[in-house]
Amino acid sequence: MAVRHKHRETGTSVVVYADNYINDIEGEKLEEMCDAFLEKGFKKIVIDFSGTDLVNSIGVSILIGIIEKIKGKGAVVFSGLKDVNFQIFHIVGLTRHIRVYDNEEDALKESASCDGVSL
Amino acid sequence: MKDRTLFAICPDAEFFGRTREIGDVLARASAERRAPNVFLAGKRWTGKTEVLRRIHRELFWSHSRVVPVYYQFKGPLDPEAFAEDYLKEFIKQYLAFRKREPDLVRNETSLERLERILFDEDAFGLLDFTLIHREAKRSNDKTAVLRNALGAIELMTRRTGTPVYLMLDDIGESLRPSGHPGPSIERELAESLNSGSFPFIAASSTRAFLEGGLLGSVERMSLDGLDADTSVAMMAELCRSRNIAFDTEILSLAAMKLGGNPMYMKSMVWAALKGGRDLKDLKSFVELYSDEVFEGNIAFALKSSLKLKGPSELRMLYALIGAGGARADDRAVSGEDLRERFRLSEDEFSKAASSLAAEGLAEFALGSVKWAGDSTTADFVSYMFETRIKGRGADEFRTSFTREALKEGFIARGARVRGRLKEDAGAALRSFNGQKLMKILFRNQAFSLTSRNGGWKPGERKDSEDLALPEIIGSFDSSRWEKGETGPAIIIAHGFANGRYDAGNEVVWMTAVKDSPSPVNIGDVENFLRRGQILKENFRTTRIVRWFVGRDGFTAEAQKRLEGEGVHTSDSVQLNLIRESLEDASASERLKRDDKILPMKEFEVVLPSSTKAELVAVKAVEEIGTEMGFGDNAIGQIKAALVEACINAFEHSKVKAGKVFLRFVAGGDRLTIHVQNGGVDFDSPAAASGASAETDLPRKRGWGFELMKGLMDEVRLERINGGARIVLVKYLIKKGETGGSEA
Repeated sequence: MAVRHKHRETGTSVVVYADNYINDIEGEKLEEMCDAFLEKGFKKIVIDFSGTDLVNSIGVSILIGIIEKIKGKGAVVFSGLKDVNFQIFHIVGLTRHIRVYDNEEDALKESASCDGVSL
Repeated sequence: MKDRTLFAICPDAEFFGRTREIGDVLARASAERRAPNVFLAGKRWTGKTEVLRRIHRELFWSHSRVVPVYYQFKGPLDPEAFAEDYLKEFIKQYLAFRKREPDLVRNETSLERLERILFDEDAFGLLDFTLIHREAKRSNDKTAVLRNALGAIELMTRRTGTPVYLMLDDIGESLRPSGHPGPSIERELAESLNSGSFPFIAASSTRAFLEGGLLGSVERMSLDGLDADTSVAMMAELCRSRNIAFDTEILSLAAMKLGGNPMYMKSMVWAALKGGRDLKDLKSFVELYSDEVFEGNIAFALKSSLKLKGPSELRMLYALIGAGGARADDRAVSGEDLRERFRLSEDEFSKAASSLAAEGLAEFALGSVKWAGDSTTADFVSYMFETRIKGRGADEFRTSFTREALKEGFIARGARVRGRLKEDAGAALRSFNGQKLMKILFRNQAFSLTSRNGGWKPGERKDSEDLALPEIIGSFDSSRWEKGETGPAIIIAHGFANGRYDAGNEVVWMTAVKDSPSPVNIGDVENFLRRGQILKENFRTTRIVRWFVGRDGFTAEAQKRLEGEGVHTSDSVQLNLIRESLEDASASERLKRDDKILPMKEFEVVLPSSTKAELVAVKAVEEIGTEMGFGDNAIGQIKAALVEACINAFEHSKVKAGKVFLRFVAGGDRLTIHVQNGGVDFDSPAAASGASAETDLPRKRGWGFELMKGLMDEVRLERINGGARIVLVKYLIKKGETGGSEA
């Protein structure tokens, strides 16, 4: 199980580790963290789902809200998605709007090279 | 907030179920094209009045093009008094709707005052009716008085072009003889309704009006007691809001005993509150029940509504109950028997039977009478008979009643989740239509052996051969032929084999069902074989097929004896597989193709309303899915879909903090999950439409159903009485796939 919403800062990017179950409560916590990092001036946020087993539809709606909020101010990418979570994001059409990487390292590398990708 | 009350109704928080019925009638009332009129039939206090008044309220406030008119019959009235009351109600409600003035509906108004209002409002069209009414009264022309009142709706509709929807409550009351001279209310009323000039719904707890041929073409809508889940949800909510301790299983038992009757259930909760009692165990429920039904509010309500005219009616009722009245398979008693038993003349008998039918307690047709009341009324009648006629002491009767009820309750508790096997077997038989099913599904010994060995290789055994089923044309049970016989009734199904309707291909399937938590034993088998031999004499056909279905299988001795006699044998797992194969031909093919037949298992989980309660369901399905052989990804998909179904069920639970009921059925080739709440509805799949443009971000809400559909192989939303149920299905081998099971 992932450690609850720990994060790792690297330059202007930050990796946020999502919880095991993303519902309304955990989704809102993620949202608060992302808001705080944007406030601090981070340009890219990698949300790492490698410790996430389940994302429910309310969690999905909060993630859509996070992406909407960051739009124009920075970039957000996902990493470490389990197959079922990728499928969930695909069904709701999120994968058309966001880059998804196998792991956080790839996400950091890519996000470093794609500065300014706005959503 | 605006007071939307018109006629008195119970608080919304205490009104459960009936969404489908109300929606259906509203759709008819407001349809552009005329829909068939409705006869709403239901036993006493099942909520007919509430349904009609809620429809009236909805039409009054939300549908501008139809004038709703509600009239409740109030017992025997002189035709003139009835006409005045009816006319007043029509005018009041018509005016209230036009002026958007609900007080006119709520308040009692004299005809004089109403006339002044009509005059002030220049409502001369309506005023005409009151003037004609007075004139006809003055000339003592009762027929003209009646026709003026009953014809008012038709005339107003013609004059204004605005449709009226008429709701007649307790229409059966209009049949009561008033003892007053003059024209017959029911004949004039029937004529007005059958004119076809306005739509209506008529409600009654007796079928006399309908069966008397007084209503022309109407559709019958039944309002039975609330279903088990809605009843439990209702009682739980009432208990919770009044701080009465309860156990869900006891509420479920109470719901069953009270037949889902909302008035009885509310009375029980109210009695518990008044007496500082609870509904936590069987004994407290049985004591509360006997207090309420023999001496409490329910007794009072029954006493005042039954209107029994004398001991002969009470005796007759008791005899009907004794003939099996309180059971579902109630039987009619011939008038001849009753006349002889109670020494009644033809005329006395006919009067008593008609009077019981008018009260909704009996059905009287072709000279025979059948109990038509509910089980609670049957208990009350038994109490009255035993104490008033037979002279037993009230305490003596209550002690023996409590003793029997406790025993019955324990049996009912043990069998709560059961009781459907006979229905399932009957349904399976009725769906026999010349299909071919694997023989192993009718051979319990071979099936059990296969299951124990972990699977069955097709082609390995002769049991993989098919059994050709006949085409069943009808079925019934043997009870009429076996009066006094012990053991459950045998289902007799008639049909033809080989698709040929001739004497040579006629066949009868005799099916015994044992639906108790113990295997079929040699005693059961001997009983069936003996009875089968006797029953055989009733059929012309020589081809008899015997089938024994036992919930918990068969003892070795029973299996051997049945096999020796060539009797088909199935347990509940086999029966489920048979039903699935009959419903879906591809299921049968998949079963044959599958490399093993897994036994079917069922699990039930009840989720409380608490944070992350859905994770309990997730944990359960993870265990079940792993044991069935689903791969990690499939299990992940099932978990995610189940979470969505649970969230949806909690969100739409009618009860604050209501529970969600889950049933997992692990079948041979699929996992089926039923998710049900005590609520009104789930989000409909259609609610999730309206995706944003390609470049926009996806919409935020309403993804639940789409996720379920995307992650599962089948998702169904089944409407059930009082709510809805989501059914999720995941196949071990997907439909249409030739291989590639994840397992």
